[in-house]
Amino acid sequence: MALVEVKGVSKHFGGLTAVSKVDLAVNAGEVHCLIGPNGAGKSTLFKLIVGLYPPSQGSILFDTVDITAERPYARVQRGMSIKMQAPSVFKELPVRQNIRIALQERLSGAERIAEEDRLLTLLNLGPDSEKLAGALSHGQQQWLEIGMALALKPQLLLLDEPTAGMSPDETFKTGELIKSFNAEGMTVLVVEHDMAFVRQVAQRVTVLHLGKIFARGDLKGILQDEKVAQIYLGKTHAH
Amino acid sequence: MLKLLEGPQTLGRGKVFWSSFLVVLAGALTYPLFADSYDVGNFAYFLIWIFMALGLCLMWGYGGMLSFGQTLFFGIAGYGYGVLAINMGGGTATIVALMLSVVLAMVAAGILGYFMIWGGISGIFFGIVTLSATLVLAFFLGQTAGPEWHIGSARLNGFNGMKGMDPLTVGDFFIEGSTLYYVMIALIVIVYLALRMLVNSGIGNVIVATRENPQRAEMLGYDVRKYQLLTFVIGSGLAGLSGALYTSWGQFITPSSIGLPAAAMPIIWVAFSGRSDLTATLVGSFLLLFGFQTITVYSQQAALVLMGALLLATVMLAPQGFVLGIGKFAADWWSGHRRREESPVMAEAGRLQSEET
Amino acid sequence: MSAEVFSVFYQFADVFAFLILSAAGLAIVFGMMGVINMAHGEFIMCGAYVTVGLVNLGVPLAIAQILAALTAGLIGVLVEFLVVRRFYKRPLDSLLATWGLSLIVTQSMLLIVGSAVRGIGTPEGSFAIGGYTFSTYRLVLFACAVAVLAGLYIIFMKTRFGVISRATMQNAAMAKALGARTGRIYAISFGIGTGLAGLCGALYAPTMTLIPTMGATFVVESFVTVVIGGANVLLGTAPAAVLLAIIRMALNASYGQIIGQIGMLVAVILIIRVLPEGLSSVLVRRGR
Repeated sequence: MALVEVKGVSKHFGGLTAVSKVDLAVNAGEVHCLIGPNGAGKSTLFKLIVGLYPPSQGSILFDTVDITAERPYARVQRGMSIKMQAPSVFKELPVRQNIRIALQERLSGAERIAEEDRLLTLLNLGPDSEKLAGALSHGQQQWLEIGMALALKPQLLLLDEPTAGMSPDETFKTGELIKSFNAEGMTVLVVEHDMAFVRQVAQRVTVLHLGKIFARGDLKGILQDEKVAQIYLGKTHAH
Repeated sequence: MLKLLEGPQTLGRGKVFWSSFLVVLAGALTYPLFADSYDVGNFAYFLIWIFMALGLCLMWGYGGMLSFGQTLFFGIAGYGYGVLAINMGGGTATIVALMLSVVLAMVAAGILGYFMIWGGISGIFFGIVTLSATLVLAFFLGQTAGPEWHIGSARLNGFNGMKGMDPLTVGDFFIEGSTLYYVMIALIVIVYLALRMLVNSGIGNVIVATRENPQRAEMLGYDVRKYQLLTFVIGSGLAGLSGALYTSWGQFITPSSIGLPAAAMPIIWVAFSGRSDLTATLVGSFLLLFGFQTITVYSQQAALVLMGALLLATVMLAPQGFVLGIGKFAADWWSGHRRREESPVMAEAGRLQSEET
Repeated sequence: MSAEVFSVFYQFADVFAFLILSAAGLAIVFGMMGVINMAHGEFIMCGAYVTVGLVNLGVPLAIAQILAALTAGLIGVLVEFLVVRRFYKRPLDSLLATWGLSLIVTQSMLLIVGSAVRGIGTPEGSFAIGGYTFSTYRLVLFACAVAVLAGLYIIFMKTRFGVISRATMQNAAMAKALGARTGRIYAISFGIGTGLAGLCGALYAPTMTLIPTMGATFVVESFVTVVIGGANVLLGTAPAAVLLAIIRMALNASYGQIIGQIGMLVAVILIIRVLPEGLSSVLVRRGR
């Protein structure tokens, strides 16, 4: 069953068409990767699903409800959770308070503190919990933001290039983390261009090219698709 | 609930801080026993403005919304109190007039805030739209000298201002002099402690999160506009409380309490004190008001030149505020001496500075 | 009938000139640097005082006005160098700093000069169309406002300075990397902005009473015009002034000045709400 359905969505910026009549379904329980070369419209599509832009045409459904007109906070309240591309944390607040702000609507009292501790440990941020978030390394800030996204206990986790700026080791750990949450039933949609990471986590893949759906299928099928290799994978095989 | 008196959003915690708090409070409560009634009345006058400063501190330091419109709401409630007290006929009704006038200021803030916040106005535009509204109100009231400008039996009276309302009264007993002083002290303690609890609560967490990164806060499921409006309405309501108390204290109010240069004063108090902390604002605003009033006796212009210079010096030398800076320094020194016995008192003060807001 | 049409145009021209002349300087500084100069009113006041001072010394009015604008411009360059320059990365602090400056200047003027200065009176001259009489000087003001817009168009679209400064406006870091001296461009732009404020004061000096706090008369109009118009003087401020002038003129004619001003403010507040995707989305980005 589709948890998110994007139906015929287009987005124009002035004369430029960033996304053109895209249909996309993310099924409940899967890890779905959205890939494509630079400028393919991945980030625009991500922002449309999140609600940062209104689409020029088409509609977006979450759990069969039309959310096209809803602002991001309302979508989050429905069970989405979002990690943007650049680390976006509350830099002047301590790490623990960052997590707390994400948790406080769901838990309170001792339960909340226990969950804060659990997440901080999970993200290897325990020793830094009293530091200001802005003082963390780039990779740690990415983790903190993933932690904030997880703290909402979402049905659907949306990640825009979650491993940008991470070392291969950190990237691998992030992949394992995503897989473990998926194993507990969380649906995940990842925009990514690191193919190693895609191979590690993806169950299904959608390829976007020049604002249109170019190919879609399970991971194996996409990896073997020669047309996809031509437009995209060929260039990235090098690394 | 009481746990919220201390927390990540407020400086000052532990026995040392609260003992000093009690000592200052005890000093304030016994002050009228030693001073003559004229000085007590003057003291009450300084205290009037503290609410407006605390309100701006909440909006600007915690919420990241720099409103230049504190005197707008001061004026709305100040004139509102006058109109209501005159028309309702004094007596105990003045207490109702006080409350209604504060509500009036909050409703006005709700309307203006709705249009600005839902319209996506932030940053410097928030300041100049609120200031424009403030100046227009001041100009308008300045034009109301004629007898045709009246609300019920209250005449607005142009630049000369409205007068003739009763001060706050319970039955036949006027709340003036040292009684007014005690009322002020009580209100300040209540407002100060309530604000501490607010900013350290879950709502306060969202308010500072919105200041830091509104998009991230929204992505955690918070409708940040509602929190901004709430902050704006509370902060403006406190300005309104100052306004109503001011009218009651002097039994008059003029447009000059609203326009320039009055509109700059709350900003100077809070900037100089340290906008990111309620305690720093409380202490710093009081000191500035005291200093300003002392110099005003000799020359009001000179006092205002000095205030302008203080504002310039603050942003150039200590953008996070002088009082906060000094307080931080003292606390570092103190905790350096007693590190083993006490947890760091103000160790996280540095985080409070957010120059880019 | 044509007299009535002209009368409506005359009233529009009067308000339009006031909005453009008071806002142009503020808009340039905001457009170039993202800074609102809170001492804008004091530069207007400066222009007015210099004009009146020079006229009282026997200098012809028009020359006094030009000299006054130049004086305000030079002082502006100095202020940019000493104060504003430090705050380009902290726009809110630049507001506070210039506001502090504004207080210092106004109150010092009150201390030193006092409140009364002998005015010079509006230049005489009027003409009649149909049954109506019109002041020639008001039309001169309108012509000046149009000339200011035309002058800015030429400076920003036709000169090398204009090209570089528009590039700086788009992307300061990139312009710098390409060799533009952004510091100097900022100083000159700030000077042009305050010079225009001075010109505004100089032009209106004959029509009003000179007091050190006179700048406050202009700031509301200049603020709201910039809020609606945004960062671009030619494409933002001018249309905003047309829009606001029409609103203002209609209300002034029916209900008087003060309702006109209140109505204009209400209109501004409604406009920023109704057009969140249009004008104000531009504003938010620049206003941060």
